[in-house]
Amino acid sequence: MTLTDTPSDTVDRPVSSEVPPAAKRQRGRPSWGLWIGVVWLVTLTFMAVFADQLPFIRSTSRVKGAGNFAFGPGAEFWFGSDQLGRDVFARCIYGAQISLRIAVFSILTGLLVGGSLGLAAGYFRGWVDRLVSTVIDVLLAFPALIIALLIVQRTDSLQVSYPDTFGWLSRTWAITFVLALLAIAPLARIVRAQTMSLREREFVLAARSLGASNRRILVREILPNLVPAMTSVLFIGVAVLLVAEGALAFLGYSVKSPTPTWGLLVSESRQRIAEAWWATIMPCVMMFMTVLSFNLIGDRLARRFDIREATL
Amino acid sequence: MTPPLQTELRVAEGALLEVENLVTHFRTPRGLVRAVDGVSLGVERGRALGIVGESGSGKTVLSRSIMGLLPRHGLVREGSVRFAGRDLHDLNPKAMRSVWGREMSMIFQDPMSSLNPLMKVGKQITEPLTVHLGLDGQAAVATAVRLLTDVRIPEPERRLEQYPHELSGGMRQRVMIAIALACGPSMLFADEPTTALDVTVQAQILALLGEQRRDRNMSLILVTHDLGVVAGHTDDIAVMYGGKLVEKAPTKTLFTSMKMPYTEALLRSIPRLDQPSHQRLAAIPGRPPDLVNPPVGCRFAPRCPVAQDRCRQEEPPLRPAESPDHLYACWFPVGSPEHARATQGSQPVSVASPARGVEA
Repeated sequence: MTLTDTPSDTVDRPVSSEVPPAAKRQRGRPSWGLWIGVVWLVTLTFMAVFADQLPFIRSTSRVKGAGNFAFGPGAEFWFGSDQLGRDVFARCIYGAQISLRIAVFSILTGLLVGGSLGLAAGYFRGWVDRLVSTVIDVLLAFPALIIALLIVQRTDSLQVSYPDTFGWLSRTWAITFVLALLAIAPLARIVRAQTMSLREREFVLAARSLGASNRRILVREILPNLVPAMTSVLFIGVAVLLVAEGALAFLGYSVKSPTPTWGLLVSESRQRIAEAWWATIMPCVMMFMTVLSFNLIGDRLARRFDIREATL
Repeated sequence: MTPPLQTELRVAEGALLEVENLVTHFRTPRGLVRAVDGVSLGVERGRALGIVGESGSGKTVLSRSIMGLLPRHGLVREGSVRFAGRDLHDLNPKAMRSVWGREMSMIFQDPMSSLNPLMKVGKQITEPLTVHLGLDGQAAVATAVRLLTDVRIPEPERRLEQYPHELSGGMRQRVMIAIALACGPSMLFADEPTTALDVTVQAQILALLGEQRRDRNMSLILVTHDLGVVAGHTDDIAVMYGGKLVEKAPTKTLFTSMKMPYTEALLRSIPRLDQPSHQRLAAIPGRPPDLVNPPVGCRFAPRCPVAQDRCRQEEPPLRPAESPDHLYACWFPVGSPEHARATQGSQPVSVASPARGVEA
């Protein structure tokens, strides 16, 4: 068809502004999950941070007459009382402090180390990539739980043998360290893959053709473009590490009682679950809701930023 | 369309860019890909050279190889690239970075993806200014506004605060041109700068490039698959096929007395307004050659209507034609008796009115 044959009405016809129904549904779908997640996490974080100041949160010390699971969940003790007469709700909130701190610190450390490794491997390729990929593969090949147990034991004995140098190395730090170590490999992989695809993008070549140095390209072009993907990975990663802490607690390798974490709370009272379900189930619910919230937010972000779940 | 080329502006000072026997091969699992195989060309200051060829003819690789922008992994790069009196192969990465942007820069095919989506337009223009020229914030912004005005972007101050996704395709390509021009390069590579744009915008962008080239006495290498694009906007044209230069001539000469059947076929495949409607487009049969195992002899021979036995055995050298500065690589060029015999009956390409007009 030549130009003269073009009917003029195709030129003047107004462009339809109708959004296809499928796209509309996608966009307009209420994101209940996201909001539940956000509200839960904000509330929980607020209570955990200001636990000492909030009037409705008891201290975790024993309450006379509440021992031996005297109270079930109710107006007096919201989540009931435990064997030693402590408020389960208060312990859950104080536990949130520690559990969240461990999970967030370790994912951030893991991201810092793994992210740098992945960035270098994905951007420079060549021998850097081969070296980093080998390290990642080795880290992934270790059975995670066994590494965790070994390291926690090691740090325990270090702390006992050299109290002057390693006195600060409490279980909390040991576990943060272990979880960070375990998070390095998967995070490095994701960052490496993302970097590899970003470095081939035309705007990176354009920046290079304008004389930008490697450092400038990494910091100004690639890093900012990694942020959206990494945000969603962070959320999902925190959820995974929360559960991992619980697993360690079950094996007796989490923080030492009476410092509460959710994993520890669950494992402490689980023998008496038949007579006092609340002491076990309530921390479980807390953990469940929190992990669910992180996952809901992470999934939402992943979908928003188009990251395939297979890479996680 | 742009006014005719102002060749009288040219300063006689020898070629700004001289490429000699440039070879660019890639080692791949399939074998050695001979993307660019011994290409020589030169561009004088202020002149525009068009590099034409179909997809896979090596034109993009050639331009990136000249600039030294190819990833080093698996790369074989030989020959010499002399630019403003020095060999670019000898420069270390740091020296290379000071050449990029400041002395030569490039604009790319897809303006949608060649701007960083997460950085404001203003930042992307001022960054090379502060890095290369050491301008401070205010001076850089003032220069950026002037550059955007130069490339005909309305309301430049407002655009500086926008992100690439807020601009249209043509607007983005203008921004890309502004960025490429920011540090006043003496050589600009435009790699299919209009392919991703619609036709009206194409003409504007090409006009803009020509205008900036003249204003800045800058050399331009325009890489494209579209002979129509280079027709009105270049002084010389180099036709590439299968990694080799097959014909090179001043634009006017090429359109009036092309020698290579490939050039002829390229021109024939452009749809034209003076053709009767509902006529099949003339396509070049076959596919571009496999650059891992290029055919023996002339690389175009398997698809060439004129090809004889000699073409399949001996590779034709690049040799001068009667008209000045005209080189071609063909045993039986347009006008030879073999060519006349082979193309008997088919319509000769009328060169009087090639598509989109040669304004020469």
